[in-house]
Amino acid sequence: MPDADQAREEVSEFQKQIGALREEIGRVIVGNREVIDGVLSCMLGSSHALLEGVPGLGKTMLVRTLAGVLGLEFSRIQFTPDLMPADIIGTVVLDEAVAGGRTLEFRRGPIFANIVLADEVNRATPKTQSALLEAMQEHRVTVGRTTHTIQEPYFVLATQNPLEMEGTYPLPEAQLDRFFFKLEVPFPSRDELHAIIDRTTTEQHAEVRRVLTREQILSMQTLVRRVPVARHVQDYAIRVLQATHPNGEEAPELVKRFVRTGASPRGAQAMLLGAKVRALFDGRFAASIDDVKATALPALRHRVLLSFEGEAEGVASDRVIAEILKKLPASKE
Amino acid sequence: MASSDGIGQLRRAAERAGRRASFAAVFSRSMLLLPLPLGYGVVALTLVKAFRFGQVGQRNLLVLGALPVLVLLLGVARVLFAKRPAWRGSLALDEFHGFHDRVTSALTFSQVPEPERSPMMQAAIEDGVAVARSLDPRRAVPIRIPPEAGLVAVLALGLYGLSTLEVRHYRQLPAPASFEPMQMSADDIELFRDVAKELQAKNDDPNALLAVRRFNQLVEDIAEHRLDRHEVFQRMGDLERDLKDNVDLDQDARDEGLKGLARELEKSGLTKPAAAALDEKRLADAEKALRELAEKLKKKEGRPNAAELEKLRQALEKTSRSNEERLKNIADRRRELEDEHKSLLKKKGEQPDAGANTDPKLADNERRLERLDREKSRAEHGQKQMSELDQQLAQAARDLMKDSQQSAQDLEQGAQDINRMAKQEASEEQKKDLLKKLQEMRELMRQQGKGGKDQMQRLAKFGQRARGQGGQGQGQGQGEDQAGGQKPNGPLRLGSGPGSVTVEIPVAQSRPGDGPSQAGDKPGSGQEQGAGPGAGTGHNKDLAGAATDLKGKTQDVTAAGADTGQGAASSQVIFGAAERGFVGRGYRQVFTDYQTVAEQALSKDEIPSGYRFYVRRYFQLIRPRD
Repeated sequence: MPDADQAREEVSEFQKQIGALREEIGRVIVGNREVIDGVLSCMLGSSHALLEGVPGLGKTMLVRTLAGVLGLEFSRIQFTPDLMPADIIGTVVLDEAVAGGRTLEFRRGPIFANIVLADEVNRATPKTQSALLEAMQEHRVTVGRTTHTIQEPYFVLATQNPLEMEGTYPLPEAQLDRFFFKLEVPFPSRDELHAIIDRTTTEQHAEVRRVLTREQILSMQTLVRRVPVARHVQDYAIRVLQATHPNGEEAPELVKRFVRTGASPRGAQAMLLGAKVRALFDGRFAASIDDVKATALPALRHRVLLSFEGEAEGVASDRVIAEILKKLPASKE
Repeated sequence: MASSDGIGQLRRAAERAGRRASFAAVFSRSMLLLPLPLGYGVVALTLVKAFRFGQVGQRNLLVLGALPVLVLLLGVARVLFAKRPAWRGSLALDEFHGFHDRVTSALTFSQVPEPERSPMMQAAIEDGVAVARSLDPRRAVPIRIPPEAGLVAVLALGLYGLSTLEVRHYRQLPAPASFEPMQMSADDIELFRDVAKELQAKNDDPNALLAVRRFNQLVEDIAEHRLDRHEVFQRMGDLERDLKDNVDLDQDARDEGLKGLARELEKSGLTKPAAAALDEKRLADAEKALRELAEKLKKKEGRPNAAELEKLRQALEKTSRSNEERLKNIADRRRELEDEHKSLLKKKGEQPDAGANTDPKLADNERRLERLDREKSRAEHGQKQMSELDQQLAQAARDLMKDSQQSAQDLEQGAQDINRMAKQEASEEQKKDLLKKLQEMRELMRQQGKGGKDQMQRLAKFGQRARGQGGQGQGQGQGEDQAGGQKPNGPLRLGSGPGSVTVEIPVAQSRPGDGPSQAGDKPGSGQEQGAGPGAGTGHNKDLAGAATDLKGKTQDVTAAGADTGQGAASSQVIFGAAERGFVGRGYRQVFTDYQTVAEQALSKDEIPSGYRFYVRRYFQLIRPRD
């Protein structure tokens, strides 16, 4: 079975590359293995990630390191209330040639990069947020009558601060749905803090080297898509998704009480793509229910909208999803 | 090839795990539901053993027991036949071994036709097959003993224990049927034997004789202790019913028929004496009068004239038809009433609201109909009894115009009929006597039985006193005060005071002072209670004893002797009887007189039945002995 052998080789190569990637990132970023895997999953799933965490947890550092390791073009946009769509997309300027004559030339904004860090995305106005989100979905930008395609791989990492909500423009549900995963950056542990302080308060500066090429990344993204998903796994992901809806057949009581709207089909897509990535991380050839369970939380937490009662009771969407995973049996006739 | 073998191995392992999972589910459900029938069994068996349920109770418990068994079967069947997830077994294996669905994915992808499989699918299949050898369905799907199993075991053990447990019930066995013969004193037996003998001697009617024989047999059976109390009362009841059935109806019917006869015969001067006798129920006189009339008709001299004969003929004719007409009248009245009744019923059916008016009328109607039915029955009975006499009188009426000799013969035959009726009446009187004796006997037995031993003792004491055998000088010696020559010359009077009855009894001539002197000559045995059969030798100085405490209702008796100039005074006779034991002609006479007076008083006065009994019992006890 040469095909199977090839597949095995590809998976093995994937694992090696991921291993190298993790190792290189780990030279700069302390801990946060899950967040790193989540970010990598988003990238390999050809999608985008929303990082949420208090300031100073290394979100921007993570993205910057990732860009450096991957050797991809990186841009960072600091979202502010006065940021205009043109500021991120780019603008058409009148260019005077040396030889004479004037031409209108499109000057690309920071959005035209392989990895875009949208820092504090919720501080920009919805109009500017929309400009970013269109590019995220379509991987192209239309200015005037010209559509500009963004080079693949295209990966947007947006960050937002959960504490300072005043003067912010929370992302609408439709826009949140565009993010593959919403990753919560935890506060580092004591050991991790030691390591962080050691690395940032001394003379030593870790220099990351480029581990993967753009082609390799695209190839890895393709491999992810080739990972097969057995029917029972896909069925489980769908059942989990249905269970997030208050009127879902298998929705637990918590969902019925506290959830206003369940996740969209993009949630199932995210869960399964994430499961595929995890299977490859583990060197497996097919996604499993465990993989779905592992990706359910980041894939669904920003897609499940709590009801007023849920918010009043302080029920977190994470708790709702955990309840679903706990109650839902692996298989159903 | 190796792959297909591996897949087969995977499949078998998955199927085995699936079967184990199904069994575990059924087992768990069984354990969960088994306490129901077992618990019911324990309760039911306890009830059966403890309370000794009968067959019906046991059957009901068994039927009721079908319910928990049904619940168990349905619950298990539901689990057994439930739709199961396709990959239940393989998922269980994956979960147990931590294979991240390698087995399930391999089995799933193996179902994809080989050409359609992607390299990754193939790799996944081989990945799954690679772990096939390490699969352990037994450990992956353990069949755990559910927590309810303990309860099931306890209940099952309890059930077994109960089924083997023998609960001993100490049943109170009914005491062997003891035969307690009816007890009656020899004196009473003698009394009723005498009664039977007397009735038998008086009667020549076969029915009455049969009844007397039955009574006699009953007395003999009691004497021989062959009957218990229940049987005695039953036989007495049967005999009494048979006697009563005929006596009342026959007598009433005959009396009515004879009265009707008397009314018609009175219309002729020739039959007036017979009519008067019939009206007063002097049947012998009536017979005699008819025979005299027949003789008169036979004679050529002194025959009644034509007008008298015509009157006689009409009277006889009417007389012969009187019963028939009476029946016809009753039938007519009944028909009218029936028509009215039907009309009322119809009205009620058409107008239910009119019920308030019609219902009382209907009820009244029904009562009247019932009364008429009784009258009809009596009239029919009377007609049956009088039919021969009616025929004879009708024939006499017919023959009177043609041949007076023949008519006389008809009247003679009519007289014979009256004689027959007289005999019948006599027989019925005997039956009545027998009935009365039966009632007395029943009352005696009832009194003896109702108060237990105390009552028996009281009656025995009463008997002793009545016979003068004790009671501290209160025996016959009391006669001094009651009859002892207060009014020696005159009839004996019983009863005085307001509301009492005074009856005059002709008694033998009495002499002043006789009473006390007799008492002085033969003192009673007042000081020695129950001192044997003979008369005592001393007496209480205070013969009169303590003054009677008359707090209750009392009836003073005033006795006045009628001077007939013959024999000893009643008081003498009574004292004498007390000494000799109630024998002698004189005593019999006095007893009969006193008893007659007492019976008359009892029949006329409102005397409580309890007192009646004691009065009658007293007379039974002091009855003359031969």
